[in-house]
Amino acid sequence: MNALGVYGAILVAGFAVTYVWRFLAVLAIGKLDAESDLLLWVRSVATALVAALVMRLVTAPAGLLAAASLPGMLGALAVGVVTLLYAGRRVELATAAAIVTYFLADIILR
Amino acid sequence: MDDERAESYDWRGLADGVRGAVCLAGLVMGCSFIGFGAFLKSIGFGLIPGLFTISFIWALPGQVVFADMWRKDAELSVIALAVSVTAVRLLPIAIVVLSKARLKGAPRWPLFVVAHFTAVTIWLLTNQKIETIDPRRRLPWMMGLGVTLMTAMFGFTSAGYYLADSLPSALARTLVFFTPAFFMVTLVSGARWRFDYWSIALGAAIGPLATYLWPRFDLLIAGVVGGTVAFVLVRPKRRGLLP
Repeated sequence: MNALGVYGAILVAGFAVTYVWRFLAVLAIGKLDAESDLLLWVRSVATALVAALVMRLVTAPAGLLAAASLPGMLGALAVGVVTLLYAGRRVELATAAAIVTYFLADIILR
Repeated sequence: MDDERAESYDWRGLADGVRGAVCLAGLVMGCSFIGFGAFLKSIGFGLIPGLFTISFIWALPGQVVFADMWRKDAELSVIALAVSVTAVRLLPIAIVVLSKARLKGAPRWPLFVVAHFTAVTIWLLTNQKIETIDPRRRLPWMMGLGVTLMTAMFGFTSAGYYLADSLPSALARTLVFFTPAFFMVTLVSGARWRFDYWSIALGAAIGPLATYLWPRFDLLIAGVVGGTVAFVLVRPKRRGLLP
């Protein structure tokens, strides 16, 4: 599988498969309903996939996070989500709350 | 194009876009790319290939999926499918953004260039500012914004890459943790329908199970199963709720 090398792989399995959606968007302007059932389903799948990605980064961590505290990370994610929902949907504030929570948990729990 | 009185873009909008990149949303994006740099370093993915993913993928979830699966030696077709699934959400975003920037009767090729820059941050900024911009300058404005943000993200990512090594370990871990934290918060903030919340919850619940049972296809399985179940069970009964 490494025949292409990482740069070839970025072009084939990164650029091409991402740009195709942007390309289709240009063709679809004025023709495709951005809220059709098909696109809403697709959006639902993409959302679930990214949520699963978050959980994988946290529950099956690699590299530096392998030494991180799992309850600390899960707790920090919860703090971020709660802050977002109850403090005016401000992404920067909620992310900051999650990060600070994690940092404190890292110091205390480890 | 065949309109004799065809309008044309006012390319002075490029400079407006460059200036427009300096803002809070740009800073939040910068922080997420510092986290991306630290993430790359922590999983042993090279900085230069990492910067390539910025230029060519230009959507953080796709970049993280690519780097993560590449490191795990996943098959190219599986990586391609997973990255593509994370990128589908760009389709409706790009339709909304580009239809605001488009000038009827102007050449079409610049749209295909600007399309590459459409991503979540540009969508947010477009929603905030595009009405205040002269229609002939909108597309150049987006191009200036995209090129400036992309260039800046090379710097932020490189900084995160080196910081991950030089900071005390608790701070370095916190930097790497920025990526999952930012994704989770962004997902919830982007949720508008009930099925969005269910997709997040189901994807997060099925994810670790799928990682355990089918480590090579975990993200795809969690995405397709969680997303489909959420969509079928909490089917939206609405129309025209897009902002």
